[in-house]
Amino acid sequence: MSSRSKAAGRGRGTALKIYGTLIFVFLYFPMVIVLLFSFSPTRTIVGLSGFTLKWYQELFQDPGLLTAFWHTILVGLCAVVIATVFGTAGAFFVTRAEFPGKGVFRSLVMLPFLLPGIIMGLTLLIFFRNLNVPLSMFTILMGHVSFTTPLVMFQVSSRLLRLGPTYRWAAMDLGANPVQTFWYVTLPMIRTALIGAGLLAFTVSFDEIVISYFLTGTWMTLPVYIYGMLRFGLSPKVYAISTIILILSLVLITFMARYTGRSVENYRVRKRNRA
Amino acid sequence: MKTENAIELVDVTKKFDEATAVSRFSVEIKKGEFFSLLGPSGCGKTTTLRMIAGLEIPTEGQILLEDNDVSSTPAYRRSVNTVFQDYALFPHMTVQKNIYFPLKMKKIPLSEARPRIERVLRLVNMEGFGKRLPQQLSGGQRQRIALARSLVNEPAALLLDEPLGALDFKLRVAMQKVLKDIQRNVGITFIYVTHDQTEAMTMSDRIAVMKDGLAHQIATPDEIYNDPATAFVASFIGDMNFIHGTVRENDGKACVLNVNGDTLTARREVNLEKDAEALVCIRTERVQVNPQRSVENKVSVKLTRIVYRGTDYEATCLIGGSELRAVVQAVAWDSSLRVGDTVEVAWSAEDMIVFPREEEKDVIKYSVEAV
Amino acid sequence: MKRRISKPAVFLRGIPIMVWLLALVAIPLVFTFIMSFYTSSGLVIDTTLSLKNYKVFFTDPLYPRILFKSVRLALAISILSIGAAFPLAYMVSFKIRRGRNLLFMLCIIPLWVSYLVRIIAWRTILGNRGVINSVLMAIGIIEEPLTFFLYNQFAIAITLTYICIPFVFIPVYTALEKIPRNLLDAANDLGANEIRTFLNVILPLGLPGLITGFIFSFIIALGDYIIPMQLGGTQGIMFGNLVWSQFGFAFNWPLGAALGFILFAIAVTILGLTSKFGSTEGGFLGE
Repeated sequence: MSSRSKAAGRGRGTALKIYGTLIFVFLYFPMVIVLLFSFSPTRTIVGLSGFTLKWYQELFQDPGLLTAFWHTILVGLCAVVIATVFGTAGAFFVTRAEFPGKGVFRSLVMLPFLLPGIIMGLTLLIFFRNLNVPLSMFTILMGHVSFTTPLVMFQVSSRLLRLGPTYRWAAMDLGANPVQTFWYVTLPMIRTALIGAGLLAFTVSFDEIVISYFLTGTWMTLPVYIYGMLRFGLSPKVYAISTIILILSLVLITFMARYTGRSVENYRVRKRNRA
Repeated sequence: MKTENAIELVDVTKKFDEATAVSRFSVEIKKGEFFSLLGPSGCGKTTTLRMIAGLEIPTEGQILLEDNDVSSTPAYRRSVNTVFQDYALFPHMTVQKNIYFPLKMKKIPLSEARPRIERVLRLVNMEGFGKRLPQQLSGGQRQRIALARSLVNEPAALLLDEPLGALDFKLRVAMQKVLKDIQRNVGITFIYVTHDQTEAMTMSDRIAVMKDGLAHQIATPDEIYNDPATAFVASFIGDMNFIHGTVRENDGKACVLNVNGDTLTARREVNLEKDAEALVCIRTERVQVNPQRSVENKVSVKLTRIVYRGTDYEATCLIGGSELRAVVQAVAWDSSLRVGDTVEVAWSAEDMIVFPREEEKDVIKYSVEAV
Repeated sequence: MKRRISKPAVFLRGIPIMVWLLALVAIPLVFTFIMSFYTSSGLVIDTTLSLKNYKVFFTDPLYPRILFKSVRLALAISILSIGAAFPLAYMVSFKIRRGRNLLFMLCIIPLWVSYLVRIIAWRTILGNRGVINSVLMAIGIIEEPLTFFLYNQFAIAITLTYICIPFVFIPVYTALEKIPRNLLDAANDLGANEIRTFLNVILPLGLPGLITGFIFSFIIALGDYIIPMQLGGTQGIMFGNLVWSQFGFAFNWPLGAALGFILFAIAVTILGLTSKFGSTEGGFLGE
């Protein structure tokens, strides 16, 4: 680590750190504002005149909002399940098969995640229109599946590539047929990647508005509902629900960080050492 | 007729698209033999091993396991097991579960398997390690567990792919002894892939020396050292001198050559005609400097370099533009010799090996350009 | 690299993902492409093929103008994002010794914490009764709330930059982390001070990450329609709004399809540039 300080000057470092801290504050300041506003009984911040849970209480009395919240969870769970199945299958395919144009194929699968949501939204809208499918939970679900699947596929294939083919060879060499190899060796070794990818997919789906807004009829998810609320101005209820979403996302991210970026080995050793 | 062969390869060839990795490799490996595949990287030794394991299917030829043709049998149905270079211990299983794995695939219940697991752990000196996880073990320990895991099923042959490559020197030497002892005790056929010639020479009953997919020689270490079949084998094993010469006479039992004006005799079968260009080879330790007793081949030279190497001295001279090196034990060295002195270098006729000049391109050279 | 084609059996595993690709990506795109050649009059869609929509795009000055405006704004946003994210990434990668992982996570968190909430936050901050105005009025600098913070391109720019900073941070940080530290030692040893090390070693090696980040930010900014709708007002109509309105009030789906397809073509071309000039690394959470 001393090499870092050797190559780095000292004065320069400080200026950079100040700038970096400013950016940091810039990143978090808006979220803190929302948090503060959700507890403030009035609409202005200057003179934070009190602390109230009034707005949170109003949330629970809003049936439309509660339904939308439930819808969002439902869609999230379903999308994650579907995305995991298709994404994992895709990951195995992409890491095991060789064919010309494989890179293009991979890029095509990543498209729904990389392209602006408006493009995915309108293509799917036109698609469903042409097939006379009414806008409902199904269409929103399909929209969510479209951008969560590449996510899962990317995470799982990264893990598969990192593990390498040796474990599979060893398993087969020791007498495991392909099914047994998958079940007893490969699957346990990608377990944490699957969980991490699932959490990530759920988080992204939970918050999604761009595509959902295109594909929504009367069946709404939470972000769409909130967006509707914004039409009537910024009522403090909005801050309350925003804060809840913030906290939920943070919790999900923390869990996800525990699972991704660490391989199975480290996680289990830690678990054992605690036991 | 019950066979003596554990494994037989008949004209096995493996091509990847246009590139040939292994070319018409045939060998009969006897039961209980310690057989090594030796050669530089890319010579096809690992591919050959994988074909025996069943992880690759030969493009042509057959692989017989105890006289049964298993050429297209998948790996999980062959009774051979492999120890991989990076051990490939399953990180999510304990040592015991790792070793139990092959037995589990055979549907043997854990109660029945336990004594076998214990026995094999004892064999590799790792008793009591059953509950540990692979990442809690050192390199050498993992290696032994990998060995145990491959042995627990009592396979017909054990395949080892450069298993000691990741260990440091002293550990490697110790493990060589361990492996050899285990092989002798258990009596299993070992097929061992390595690029380290010392390893192969010390452990093997027979060695196949390979280059570019071809087996240059399949023989015992003694034969490979003293009777190399090609210039490549001569250069890959041990320390060999190479100088140019021309054939003067060849009566089938001995061959007389003209080397830079001197007349030298090689007392062995040489496959060259009169006037053919030859590559003359002598082991550096067989070259004597100012010998006291009379030796058949003698050349008068000037010393260009003397290097003290602790146990011996390496003296270099030039014969017709090629370097000739003599390695003399320190106790036998005349310490009055200096660079520039004229000396006689000599070797017996039996120690001289002759190859056709074309084979010089296969010779492994140690020079800056060769790197 | 062995360029060979796997045996047919291997492709069986690929069936699910190929079905997915067809159903949710390929076919919708094809339908959209086809629809872009239809025309619409009132509520009826005429399915005779025609190039009218594309002609409109190229001839009616409205569309190219708005597209140009959006591109310009997206470029500005991307530059701002890099201006914020790059020094931050540099700081975390080279100047922080302990707790780097935690700091990295902290820089990433805004990315995953609700796009919508972040928009709400900025509406709050920039509005007439928002934070900036309230603070300024409380201090006494102004009497009336300033209206130029919201409902214009400035609001869009600052909000989108805020959104894009983490997107730029990830590829830049990944690229910087990949630079072997002993290169810095070598440069130092050969006589380079920090500025020269930066210019000659760090910047060139980190450039692919920078390019990737820039492109990500540009595409996000170009295609967004929610933020312009919420914060742009009448001054801040962007290309995204234009496309969206064809599916909303304007109800001209074929035109929307055509505009959408044009946007698609632009985005795909630019993404193609990433794989050529940028780095394709940057797992989404350090995987």
